[in-house]
Amino acid sequence: MTTLPTDRRPRRLIGTTAWYVTALFVAAVMIVPLLWMITIGLKSGSAVFEIPPRLLPREWTWRNFIDGPQAIHFPRLLLNSTIITALSVLGGVMTAMMAGYALARLRFPGRKVWFYLFVGSMLLPGVVGLIPLFQLYKSIGWYDTWLPLIVPAFLGGNPLFIFLARQYFLAIPYSIDEAAKIDGAGHLRIFTQVMLPLTRPAWITMAILAFQASWNDYLNPLVYLYSSGKWPLSVGMAAFISPFAGKTPDWSYYMATNLLYMLPPLILFFVAQRYFIQGLGSLGSTTQK
Amino acid sequence: MTRLSRPFQRGNTRSRGGLSRSAGSDTLAAYLFIAPAIIGFAVFVGYPLIRSFYLALTKYNGLAEPVFVGLGNFRRLFTTDPAFWPALRATGYLVVLYVPLSLILGLALAMFCNQRFRGVSLLRTLAYLPVVLPAVATITLWKFILNPQVGLLNTVLDRLGLPTSLWLQSPTMAMPSVVLMMLWGVGGTMIIFLAALQAVPTELYEAAKVDGAGPWSAFVRITVPTISPIILLQVILQTTAALQTFNQPKILTNGGPGFSTSVLMLSIYNNGFPNLGRIPQLGYASAQVWVLFVIIIAVIALAAKFTSLWTYSDNTPD
Amino acid sequence: MNTKLIGAAALACAGLLTLSACGGSDSGSSDGPVTVTVMTWESTQTNAVIKKALASFVDPNIKVELLDTPSGQYGDKLSSLTQAKKLPDLFWCGNDTEQQYTQQGLLVDWTSKLTGDFGPDKFVGSAIENWKTADGQMGGLPSLMNTYGLWYNADAFTAAGLQIPKDGWTWDEMYAAATKLTGKNGAKYGLVADQLTGPDGPFTMSMYAVSAGGAPFTDNVNHPTKAEADAKYTEGVQKLTDAVKNGSVAPPGYDASNAQSLFAAGKVPMMFGGQWLAAGFQVDKPKVKYGFAPFPQVTTPATLYDSVGICTPQYTKDQDATFKVLQYINTKVWDAVLPESPVAPPAYTPAQASYFDALTKAQQTTVVDTVKADLAAEKTVGVRFTTQWAQQVGDLTTAEYQPILSGKKPITNLPSYIEKINALIKSGG
Repeated sequence: MTTLPTDRRPRRLIGTTAWYVTALFVAAVMIVPLLWMITIGLKSGSAVFEIPPRLLPREWTWRNFIDGPQAIHFPRLLLNSTIITALSVLGGVMTAMMAGYALARLRFPGRKVWFYLFVGSMLLPGVVGLIPLFQLYKSIGWYDTWLPLIVPAFLGGNPLFIFLARQYFLAIPYSIDEAAKIDGAGHLRIFTQVMLPLTRPAWITMAILAFQASWNDYLNPLVYLYSSGKWPLSVGMAAFISPFAGKTPDWSYYMATNLLYMLPPLILFFVAQRYFIQGLGSLGSTTQK
Repeated sequence: MTRLSRPFQRGNTRSRGGLSRSAGSDTLAAYLFIAPAIIGFAVFVGYPLIRSFYLALTKYNGLAEPVFVGLGNFRRLFTTDPAFWPALRATGYLVVLYVPLSLILGLALAMFCNQRFRGVSLLRTLAYLPVVLPAVATITLWKFILNPQVGLLNTVLDRLGLPTSLWLQSPTMAMPSVVLMMLWGVGGTMIIFLAALQAVPTELYEAAKVDGAGPWSAFVRITVPTISPIILLQVILQTTAALQTFNQPKILTNGGPGFSTSVLMLSIYNNGFPNLGRIPQLGYASAQVWVLFVIIIAVIALAAKFTSLWTYSDNTPD
Repeated sequence: MNTKLIGAAALACAGLLTLSACGGSDSGSSDGPVTVTVMTWESTQTNAVIKKALASFVDPNIKVELLDTPSGQYGDKLSSLTQAKKLPDLFWCGNDTEQQYTQQGLLVDWTSKLTGDFGPDKFVGSAIENWKTADGQMGGLPSLMNTYGLWYNADAFTAAGLQIPKDGWTWDEMYAAATKLTGKNGAKYGLVADQLTGPDGPFTMSMYAVSAGGAPFTDNVNHPTKAEADAKYTEGVQKLTDAVKNGSVAPPGYDASNAQSLFAAGKVPMMFGGQWLAAGFQVDKPKVKYGFAPFPQVTTPATLYDSVGICTPQYTKDQDATFKVLQYINTKVWDAVLPESPVAPPAYTPAQASYFDALTKAQQTTVVDTVKADLAAEKTVGVRFTTQWAQQVGDLTTAEYQPILSGKKPITNLPSYIEKINALIKSGG
């Protein structure tokens, strides 16, 4: 703990140096794989398998950044991922906020029971639903559509969000509702015009968590979608490098495209860094009283 | 994180009486507000639970109707299936290797980043970066980094004159390699610990210093006890998540070499959704799901014995 | 954000529903021409040539559509389509898929359609034999023959002063060469043989036993009555185990998915593989001089047989139209496809000439010789079980057989592995 000031100068100097050396190592571990990925993306297909491997490409094949995405059908996958993610973020946040509002600020029979059930379902491993829901979607014609990836979000998909929303709503003074009620506002108006602006940090955080969950999801689209035209990026990218009948995938195309795949979440991260950190922090804080 | 936790307390104290005056018409409104979540609960939690339990007792290939076989699937799992015990072992090995390392490294990194040095916020950002990236993107990247012949890791080790390894292709190193890849995302654990550390009142450390406590004793006597609820929460979350690891073994090794990384989730997937036109064994896979489910519940129950983390902390009158 | 927004979201959902529902293949109503859909696992390049060849199929009542499928996900997709009951009218399938699906009553039996110029005698004998199920059905037709052999880097052999592998060379010579080539010029292993060390390894090992006059691993991959490991078979396993131990053969678990590129880069001097790699090499142009030799032998030649084919689901809309296209693929399409992309010899023998001509033109003469020798081989063994419980055999192999190869378990454990498979045959068959 360096929050405790050390008194002797040479010792501090050694401490500082040690800190920066370690920090440099940590930073390198985090960043070098990504830089290396870019160099693979710049190598020609056969140069990737040169032994001993070169760290930098001999010829810089910039075309990989055009040919790679084309071979992987990146624009199509990106569009699919964007639509799926946008809708599931919207649905997940909206229904969780609604449920959270009711559970925190309205009095009704069964309130406790539902809260327990929702929180309890957080513990249910997702895999339990995999096979029964697969059969269900198949029988109602949702197999190989985006609906299994989106509709659950519109039905309070993530119980964690309900929990977070409720906790946040509990924190808002009740005098605000009272004042609005005196003005003649109904619940819908209180919710949309009073509560949503007040809970902005909560739903932005949830939106980011929902974005990450949907953008990263691999198992669900893998199971529910088989038409490559409907795949999101996760399945499409993984499909490109899965080997079949001894054919080696084109790693340089892949790595070039992988960079593009990483960009949207990266941009979001740098724009809304505060909320990312808060999102995970809030997980801890809700239990720490 | 403090930003969130502080308002709660304020809200909780003020909530008394806030609800008591609400009219009965609230019930209808409330049920309209939670209707989507209730429907979702019924369809995505209630139904699958019942249905998958039934399927676990059947022989079912998804093409014909399920045939009831009683405990036949479980008998086959525990007695004749050559893949089941290795799958349990691989899952256990992953948890035992990953969870402690992730917690220790995460806490160490959080303490390292909780210091006042120039550039520390940049370091925090960099450490968190891998967590932000899509899982498939990082896993596939690591698949190539770990390639023994042309991968980055062996290239670097070789240039430094250090011993290299077959990594994912060695039966003994495959699981450690998977865990190594997963630890690249230790920033996720770090961030939560960091938030917890920042909430520890500095007065405590000052008081300890007055008492003549060194850094280690301050860590043991102040830091650990104060953040212990977070540590426990992390143990539960990380263990249940690790028990359900799928993406990494699926993409990195597909369970190999041998059964060394064939975790339970992968075995469930391969039995329920086998490729190349093999006939699926959905009933059998459901039985495996229930084994996993029971393990997860047991872990949570065990952890709950140590804490009352998930108690309903509602101060409002009913 | 109020009811309007919720309404908009609902609308978006509804729009999505119709959009995705319409996304599937929507074939015309009964009055228009019938659409026959075709799905292959070939590479993008090969598929492009197939598409072009199918375009010249002319029939006013039939429209042919080649579905776009990335080959890497073919296996997953096939299973998904089966579950969805949306299999295309014609889809590429392995012998094992054909056997299992036919037993489930999923496929159209073409036996009665095989007559005259398109009779069973026009196909490679072993292919027809293996496509028949126990009750004599043909759930599809064999299309291409997969032959296997050994790809070698001729430059590496010359540099090491070794004789180039050729017809009649022995297992001992192969292992000796592997030892000599290991560690030379960046080669980690002298031989990469996924067919020997992977899940199908026990079947491939039959070649050794059969060639030495012993018994194969199993009497029949389609309708097995027993598995066995006789003295010759055990000897073969022992030799492989020794070679794995001394580091000259890649051990079980070696990720063979990059082997083709490493071979082309000269870093894998010998590798077991199928003839279809020739088509890829023709595009990628390896830096090394390479060739394709038959598998080694002990006393007589022995090789693997494996045929792939094209299957049709029971629910195909118009069986006659589908059969017309199937016949067109088997008799005409190969002539157009193989010159540009020589992936495999057709099972329909009159169409084989174009395959060999293409390879000869591309100066892949070693491939021509080896494929011809393989097709004519008298002693052949199946590549894997095609039964319903084949996956359980795979698990047993991982649990019991592969550890023997990697030296984790003694070779004396071989009989217990065989015993367990026999138990499976008895209970499952």
